[in-house]
Amino acid sequence: MNARSGLVQEIWRIAVLVLAAWAVGSLFDQTLLVLLLALLGYIARNLLNLQRLADWLGSQEAAGIPFHVGLWGDIYSRIARVSAHQAQRERRLTTLLNEYSASTSALPDATVALDTRGRIRWFNDAAIRLLGLQAAKDVGQPLSNLFRNPEAAEFIRRADYSQTLQTTSPGNSERKLEVRMAPYGEGQTLLLAQDVSERLRHETVRRDFVANVSHELRTPLTVLSGFIENLQADQSLQDQRLRRPIELMAQQSARMRQIVEDLLLLAKLEGESKQGKEQDIVVGGVLRLVADECRALGPKVAEIECDIRSTRRVLGDEKQLRSAVTNLVVNAIHHTPADGLITLVWEDRGENSLLEVSDDGEGIAAEHIPRLTERFYRVDNGRSRQRGGTGLGLAIVKHILKRHDATLEIKSQLGEGSRFICHFPASRLLG
Amino acid sequence: MDTIDLKHHYSQQFNAELEDIRSRVLQMGGLVEQQLEMAIDALNRGESATAEMVVANDCRVNACDVDIDEQCTKILALRQPTASDLRLVLAVIRTTADLERIGDEAKRVARMAIRAAGGDHGRNLFGRIVHLGTLVQRMLHSVLDALARMDVEEAIQVAHEDVNIDREYESVMRQSMTYMMEDPRSIPCVLDLIWAARALERIGDRCCNISEYVIYFVKGRNVRHISLDEIRKEFG
Repeated sequence: MNARSGLVQEIWRIAVLVLAAWAVGSLFDQTLLVLLLALLGYIARNLLNLQRLADWLGSQEAAGIPFHVGLWGDIYSRIARVSAHQAQRERRLTTLLNEYSASTSALPDATVALDTRGRIRWFNDAAIRLLGLQAAKDVGQPLSNLFRNPEAAEFIRRADYSQTLQTTSPGNSERKLEVRMAPYGEGQTLLLAQDVSERLRHETVRRDFVANVSHELRTPLTVLSGFIENLQADQSLQDQRLRRPIELMAQQSARMRQIVEDLLLLAKLEGESKQGKEQDIVVGGVLRLVADECRALGPKVAEIECDIRSTRRVLGDEKQLRSAVTNLVVNAIHHTPADGLITLVWEDRGENSLLEVSDDGEGIAAEHIPRLTERFYRVDNGRSRQRGGTGLGLAIVKHILKRHDATLEIKSQLGEGSRFICHFPASRLLG
Repeated sequence: MDTIDLKHHYSQQFNAELEDIRSRVLQMGGLVEQQLEMAIDALNRGESATAEMVVANDCRVNACDVDIDEQCTKILALRQPTASDLRLVLAVIRTTADLERIGDEAKRVARMAIRAAGGDHGRNLFGRIVHLGTLVQRMLHSVLDALARMDVEEAIQVAHEDVNIDREYESVMRQSMTYMMEDPRSIPCVLDLIWAARALERIGDRCCNISEYVIYFVKGRNVRHISLDEIRKEFG
């Protein structure tokens, strides 16, 4: 409505101008010429104002609006209002953006935002420190050009959000990073890298400690059990009261030796780098062999059946795999009555294959299942120790499977038996 | 700063191809970096398993070399690039050749690590060579960064670094000589180590070459066979 009043003013002005020009023109009898001059003057004024508007918009100065009345005044004041509004919004957004980037900069983990083609869009301060990026230069550069480690580049290209990758920091192989990716926005990804050197160092220290302690215990234990065996064999020892203690000493020292051996095996499994000598393993053969060995353990062993439905072979370490299966079967025997049934299965599930050891024994309560593979975790303290377990069997199984890229799944219900299922991925299977 | 403008062509395809060969050469660089790191690690810890992996992986480096060469030939034949595009393709071809050689030198270091794994002689010398190796490793990393960022400053810096490597190499040589004079039985082992040191020193030289290609691409000036001081006077 303001514009309309401006328009009305402008029309009035033109009318007055035309009337005045006509009046003056008729005085000198040159009506047309004066009218033309007046209109030319009007156009010149408008052109001048347009030029001023252009200058004013070019200078971006909100202050110093050229004062004008009529339609021109309206245009100026409206533009001034819009630009003031925009400036305010801009200020608000800038503050918000600054706060946001300040808070992400403070994150201890390196964060890099990547576009659909893996180019860097944005990164925080930790990325400068951990990934060696440079603040101004690296935006727009594909991240894998700078984070060049082959595994890392492959990881970025694949963008598998469920996995993490352990690698070294570019340019500093002492620093270990754990990298993961997350989807964000439309087709964009966020790469997060965490410095895990300290954690890995602690893990190494812990592992070395356990390995060293176990190793140091081995020698005294060997000496002790040697003498205990001598005592047992000594026929001159007539005192019947000593028979029982010596027998117990023999049992316990054997158990301790087993624990030490298992701990050393675990330390070795954890410590060794993954790439060892790998061979073709005929899983069916391994299962039959283990079944035969375990049937020979004694008369109180449950029935053991092998059900081999797949001819696929596994790429890995046969000795380790056999030890894992043996552990699972021995566990099953401990928890299954003599009239029960233990089944060993090897079968295909699409591209993957699974190895299953199931029994119809007493089963495991649900609350214990997630913790079963922890070292020395026992469902029932007194009983399993009586049966001679070391408490390390399932931890060993888990580590062996991990080295074969396989996973362990445990299904069980109290009173209905248990199923231990090892899933082998296609990448480990042959044939 | 000179920015790398690989988006100035109307043909999106051509832009993508140029960016692709640059990424590929850097991927190859990453692989070579890993090879060198593992070779030095093997030497340091006397692990022949790691060293054997380096030897086995060398074929991957060679495959990269052939692959990138083919891509570059294709671009030269089909696109007939000019000016900075041509310089990029040329720089990539030369860099690839040098990276392939660096891969070979890394393999040589790994071979020496396998042979030295059993021996006991010159343990102190090992430390020196590993130190030399770390310097070279850092140099390779910076030159590849310079290539990724097309950063002349960093490239000149790398060329300067080579002086330190030569100095370190010389001191390794002197120490080797004293070892051999002290105990002639150590000669076979020390000779092997000298070969490893020599290989590392050569890698340093090849890194210098790559830094020259970076300068060539960005500035369009061939700075091969020109002394460091002159280069710096011109661009520094």
